[in-house]
Amino acid sequence: MGLTNHFPALILAILLSISFLSPILYRWARKLSAPALIFSLFLALVMAVYLMVQVYQVGEFTYYMGGWPPPWGIELKINLLRVYMLLVVLAISLWIMVYALKDLEHELKTEVMGWYYTLYALVVASMAGMTLTNDLFNLFVLMEICAISACAIISIKEDRACLEASFKYLILSAMGTGCFLLGVAMLYMVTGHMNYDLVNEYLPAAIEQYPNNMFAAAALFIVAFGTKAALFPLHVWLPDAHASAPSPSSAMLSGLVIKIYAFALFLMFYQIFPRSLLESIPLNEIVLWLASMGIMFGSVFAMVQVDLKKMLAYSSIGQIGYVFLGIGLDDTIAMTGGFYHLLVHAIMKSLLFMCAGVIIYSTGIRQIKQLGGIGQVLPITMIAFTIGSASMIGIPGTGGLISKWYLALGALEIGRPIFVVIILASSLLNAVYYMPIIVNAFMQQETFDGEVKPVPRQMLIPLLVGTAAIIFFGVFSRPAIALLENAMQLFF
Amino acid sequence: MEMLIKIAHNYYYMVAILLFIIGMHTMLTHSNMIKKVIAMNIMDTSVFLMFVAIGYTYGGQAPIITAPANEVLYVNPLPGSLMLTGIVVAVSITAYALSLVVKIYRYYGTVDYDEICLIRSQE
Amino acid sequence: MEDQIVRITSRLVAPFIQVYGIYVILHGHLSPGGGFSGGAIFGASLVLVALSFNLEVGAKQISHATASVLESGGALGFVVTGLVGVAVGANFLANRAAGFPLGEAGEFFSAGAIFIITAFLGIKVASTIVTLFYNIIEGEDKSGDAH
Repeated sequence: MGLTNHFPALILAILLSISFLSPILYRWARKLSAPALIFSLFLALVMAVYLMVQVYQVGEFTYYMGGWPPPWGIELKINLLRVYMLLVVLAISLWIMVYALKDLEHELKTEVMGWYYTLYALVVASMAGMTLTNDLFNLFVLMEICAISACAIISIKEDRACLEASFKYLILSAMGTGCFLLGVAMLYMVTGHMNYDLVNEYLPAAIEQYPNNMFAAAALFIVAFGTKAALFPLHVWLPDAHASAPSPSSAMLSGLVIKIYAFALFLMFYQIFPRSLLESIPLNEIVLWLASMGIMFGSVFAMVQVDLKKMLAYSSIGQIGYVFLGIGLDDTIAMTGGFYHLLVHAIMKSLLFMCAGVIIYSTGIRQIKQLGGIGQVLPITMIAFTIGSASMIGIPGTGGLISKWYLALGALEIGRPIFVVIILASSLLNAVYYMPIIVNAFMQQETFDGEVKPVPRQMLIPLLVGTAAIIFFGVFSRPAIALLENAMQLFF
Repeated sequence: MEMLIKIAHNYYYMVAILLFIIGMHTMLTHSNMIKKVIAMNIMDTSVFLMFVAIGYTYGGQAPIITAPANEVLYVNPLPGSLMLTGIVVAVSITAYALSLVVKIYRYYGTVDYDEICLIRSQE
Repeated sequence: MEDQIVRITSRLVAPFIQVYGIYVILHGHLSPGGGFSGGAIFGASLVLVALSFNLEVGAKQISHATASVLESGGALGFVVTGLVGVAVGANFLANRAAGFPLGEAGEFFSAGAIFIITAFLGIKVASTIVTLFYNIIEGEDKSGDAH
């Protein structure tokens, strides 16, 4: 009974401990290292489910690190939206890790695999911390841990392409971090606090005397989180980084890491900045139009790609635009759609990257035009790819439709039908580049020639789980939507 | 005239912003990869300078308790200690970036980023 | 490096640097410094020995296995110190509430958990600097072998 009060800190403690233990386990007890990681991720997921149950019973609660209340200590806040993000992060990272245990053996050298577990656990720990934290400097530290670990899980497979891509990601990410820290300095200068709620309380009085600080802070936050979450003009690092990484890393990066920064930007705009700021400067408009351009350009660039993983990476740029569209439209229904898209896209994109990983594992092919007739030799993989693509396009019965539906409803509710046109046009463009792969795979007359390695069952079962999850979230979407609508009440 | 007086009072912040702009501009436009890493350090150091300058109180002394007195004015120690963590973060990013540069040099034979892009576009 | 003066000087100076590093680590709660800077100073002394002599002498100071255990052990010590607070009933990383002995402000044995955490952090940072140095240097001799 006493231990369950400490679950927020224990989730972080367990994930950090397994990341520090992995090098020792890998050197001296190699057989234990992978099961220990899976067990820790599972334990963290169980604790997160318990936190969700507790939030439903008690409401929003906080946890003070070290027993010190703010402003002296770091506060972890647990409310409905944060626990939703935490569950998404932990569940999907556990799912990807089960797939990754088999796939990494042929992509990485054996002696560095122990370090991959460390870095993976650090990415998951930092993302879990970013969802829970209520303190600006704690967010900075966790953002940095996430940035270094995310770059490192790309460059751990050392070949020509991924080293250069990882360096580009690191430099642009460091630029984002510098801008974020300067924005925090701007806010700290006028309010003297780092806690989200205390800054929110003291900011209106500070705006009277020093209005320019907050404009500068808002601009710096948009640049910082836009760089890290691949908002339209700042997305240039994403295609190389996600395409050249090992497949589990691509799945984790495209599925989770870019989303957590969109969530952090949402918290900046709606929990830290006062409502009057959003009405006086058109911050939402900026994010809205950048997101729309990202949606269109992501799809347009994806259409001309010849490499499978690079096409999926450009598609990620378009899809993260939907989440920013939800934030930019400034309406409860649209934001519900945006956050639901966060969940569904994490599953879809990870599933697609895992299918690409299976294709590369068994045939070694990365070019799209050589994938003709592959549906006969890899049926389960291509069925999973088909369901994932159908969800990307937004076919009814899959999860992708629900999020686009809610986004369109939100756009209509605030009276701007042009965004419905953008959503529909981008669905059409998605179909243009996903359908040829499926049609080529299944209905090509020629048979697939080339050697096919048999795919181990441990890699196919996550694909089936993902397919089932997409269909589940497409048909039984009501519980999650109700949760998100409840969560949005806090912010409006 | 007022503006000049204000700038003269707050010259710490002006220097910090100037260093930030120099660091960011160099990081994004110069093509030598080691220059990019150095510029990233300049950018991070400028933000640390800004934070520590925020914490200064006029007439305060260093925040070390030698005699337990309550009427001594101390400089705010919080930004300084936060920036210790920030310095460690910047050092670890620098270490990681430099090891990446060493590995990239071994594969491509050059440290110039434009030449690397040229090589990659021809593969 | 083969220079005789550099070797003799570094052999004389290295213990003093190490003592200074340990001083900065242990007085983290009393004067500026703490785990990070003290650990960096201590690690720098080992890197100095490895640079002025050749690498085998440097490797005899700390072997790879020891450095790896010290790194992980330092970080795990931090987490365990935080969990002591949970085991007693206060929050994670609690200091006075978890029963760590706090002395007078300004004494050496004071500020219970901060002292322990600083010590662990110093060990970790020192071994990390040594490991980073060895990875970069040894990576040049063998071609492209990671860790």
